[in-house]
Amino acid sequence: MTEQMSIDSAPPVVGGEPSPGPHYDFEDAQSGDLGALAAIADAMKSDNLTDRLESLKRLSVLALAMGEERTREELIPFLDESIDDEDELLLALAELLGDFTQYVGGPKYAYVLLRPLENLAAAEETVVREKAVESINKLVAAMDQLHVEEYLIPCIARLSTGEWFTSRSSAAGLYAAAYGKVTDAIQSKLRAGYEALCKDDTPMIRRAAASNLKDLVEKIEKDHVVTFAIPNFRHLSEDDQDSVRLLTVEPLVAITKRLSTEECKQYLGESVHRMCVDKSWRVRYMVAEQFVALATNIKDAELQEELLNVAISLMHDSEAEVRGAICTQLDGLADLANTEAIIGRLQAPLQELVDDPSQHVRATLAKHIGSLCRVFGREGTIEHLLPLLLRLLKDSFPEVRLNIISKLDVVDNVVGIESLSQSLLPAIVELAEDKQWRVRLAIIEYVPLIASQLGVQFFDEQLTTLCMSWLGDPVYSIREAATTNLKKLTEVFGVDWARATIIPKILIMATHPNYLYRMTTIFAITTIAPSVTPEIVRDMILPALEGLVNDPIPNIRFNVAKCLQPLTEALRKSSETASLESSVIRPTLARLEEDPDPDVRYFAHRSLTAISNAATA
Amino acid sequence: MVQSDLDRQIAQLRRCEIITESEVKELCNKAREIFIEESNVQRVDAPVTICGDIHGQFYDLQELFTVGGECPDTNYLFMGDFVDRGFYSVETFLLLLALKVRYPDRISLLRGNHESRQITQVYGFYDECMRKYGSANVWRYCCDVFDYMSLVAIIDDRILCVHGGLSPVVNTVDQIRTIDRKQEVPHEGAMCDLLWSDPEDITGWGLSPRGAGYLFGSDVVQAFLHTNRLDLVARAHQLVMEGYKHMFDKTCVTVWSAPNYCYRCGNVAAILEFDENLASSFKIFEAAPQEARGTPTAKRPAPDYFL
Repeated sequence: MTEQMSIDSAPPVVGGEPSPGPHYDFEDAQSGDLGALAAIADAMKSDNLTDRLESLKRLSVLALAMGEERTREELIPFLDESIDDEDELLLALAELLGDFTQYVGGPKYAYVLLRPLENLAAAEETVVREKAVESINKLVAAMDQLHVEEYLIPCIARLSTGEWFTSRSSAAGLYAAAYGKVTDAIQSKLRAGYEALCKDDTPMIRRAAASNLKDLVEKIEKDHVVTFAIPNFRHLSEDDQDSVRLLTVEPLVAITKRLSTEECKQYLGESVHRMCVDKSWRVRYMVAEQFVALATNIKDAELQEELLNVAISLMHDSEAEVRGAICTQLDGLADLANTEAIIGRLQAPLQELVDDPSQHVRATLAKHIGSLCRVFGREGTIEHLLPLLLRLLKDSFPEVRLNIISKLDVVDNVVGIESLSQSLLPAIVELAEDKQWRVRLAIIEYVPLIASQLGVQFFDEQLTTLCMSWLGDPVYSIREAATTNLKKLTEVFGVDWARATIIPKILIMATHPNYLYRMTTIFAITTIAPSVTPEIVRDMILPALEGLVNDPIPNIRFNVAKCLQPLTEALRKSSETASLESSVIRPTLARLEEDPDPDVRYFAHRSLTAISNAATA
Repeated sequence: MVQSDLDRQIAQLRRCEIITESEVKELCNKAREIFIEESNVQRVDAPVTICGDIHGQFYDLQELFTVGGECPDTNYLFMGDFVDRGFYSVETFLLLLALKVRYPDRISLLRGNHESRQITQVYGFYDECMRKYGSANVWRYCCDVFDYMSLVAIIDDRILCVHGGLSPVVNTVDQIRTIDRKQEVPHEGAMCDLLWSDPEDITGWGLSPRGAGYLFGSDVVQAFLHTNRLDLVARAHQLVMEGYKHMFDKTCVTVWSAPNYCYRCGNVAAILEFDENLASSFKIFEAAPQEARGTPTAKRPAPDYFL
């Protein structure tokens, strides 16, 4: 089916290219040229949407040319009257007006922009309304109390009582910003107005009221949290519509931040409990996602104990989304009770989550399970968590494996690399040959850490062969990562180890029949050059490069040319080898500068210039 | 154009950021000068890695380079269809074009059926240019470059690479050399067929359901290879779920390099590496994961919603 869909066919025969109508050249408008300004004004009335959109982008130029007064008195009213019916244009206008204060005369005139934005805030399209609300809030931040009371409050009142749902839903987003900028008397009116929105007949308005309640909670006085915010939160959290209820989790978290432990218990215990067992999984999902934030703010031990039970029941939830969401909370969750209780009670649900039928739940678990080590402690981790980690490492879904590997260092810190290596090494070796190259990459990046803890002997026995095999990986970026890995290993195990173990193996690759693998030798040499001694460069690396200088493939030759620059820097570190620059390096580069291939000539020239510059510097 | 400018533009395009309209104009002029020197039948030396359709899937092209190696270290031959369908046709085509101008000997670009004025107006490239630049100029510059791109490439006198396939009016490679390619893709004839035809399990020639080009069978391929002393026809143009597909006793191969085509087909993609001795191996890759895809910039909200 999908193949069918994507096959394209020849379009009917029509000639020429599309005619976009008159073409407006805006480039000159920056200069304030009158003709160009007229072009902007003309284009605003054009039939072509793209032209109108372009003219809008250049409105600031027009405003600058008109001056602040005429912008206020002519341009803004013009924009307001000629409001377009194209959503894309309205969106651009709504955004633009929020940043237009400087063109109408600064904050003391910001209010003139409210009028068009108020109209946009009543638009039919959601993204336009949201942008208009955002812009009004931007303006409010710059306005003083007098203007807020004189212009914004009536605007909020008009929107809040608008007949059509669009304006009322926008109104909900304006209360919080206005609230901090008005007198007590007006604040009480605002609260009454907001309460009306919370009790609106239209679910869409109640949704808007619920999602904006959080901002308002942060602005109001403590008394009003209890007398205003909590009753309204309760009302919304008992709504018939789950789409309203699910939006009350965030304001709930905000409310708990404002209350004492006692008050939380007194006012919220029941609501929290009800939301956790809501019959709609979307509500439970929101609770699960915000779980730690919620539970931490409710400091009461008894309630927290109860919450832990709730968390565990969410781990068994029938919806995968909910189980995944609660997995993201594992870290904070562990702080909710004493260690023994946590270890005792989390084990069974974790066992089940490791075998969860949803791969996304397992992937999320893999990402967050490591954070439990801190709480489980060394013994607890080895006994209870390691077996689970091992099972996740062998998961059939690559993302699960990847998430475990990338978090292994957290586990290291707790149990020590040795016990980790012993139990995980077989799995790591297996993953080093994983079909997914991103899994292999994650393993490679983890290897230097293992190396630093395992010591040379153990490493040589177990992992050296593996590290060398990555140099011949079919994927380019793995070969690249393999060279970086060798550099890090050289830093860990020392130059002598590198000379005996890895450099001979790197140099063998120089005779590979495929140019891409011969190139790996050069990349590896370039990468490790700063980490080895000048003598190694002289005795092992330069001789091996000799064959590659005459390689039939230009790509090899220009990479040799590139590589000679870092090698020269390495040679300069010792007075014994520094002379090779003039006896070997420069003559070689000079020869490559005469190469038939232009890219070889370019990179040879570039290296020569860099070497000369470094010499004179 | 100063080389350092070009290197900067390449770096910018590699981050999926567009270059200015005047830079595009200069780049396209430069590219045209290079293409104009190339024959209809571009000679390419092994080693080279050949790639199929990309279709504006920029982040998947990055994935391709991650697996196959960066240009210029690895040599590439792209068999057309750089634009349309995906979200980033502009960035994709301009990056490849900039690499071509910077390293003309390391990368070859063939024309696909989507490198055409008409097709790009239907399948997205025109609209994308309008959206990202506010005028059709960039689209016009690119279309002028399309007209100069080579139609086929031959690797080491052994492998014919073409976007679509063969044509009933082309028996020899020399006949391809006589086409006047510097024009919009015509609706019929040799040039159209090379860019539109598909191989099929039939004998001889058949009508194409696409409304342009033909279907061709194994005997056609065999005869063409024999007449021209070639071993293989490598082509793109058709989605294959496994990324590549051999046909006709391995005398014809389809290579497809747009993983999860149109962001929903669920296919893997492939590139075909030929080493210096023409030993070949396929590299399979999947769509770039979400983390590897840049977040859409806030500057350009124009949500999908409006498209």
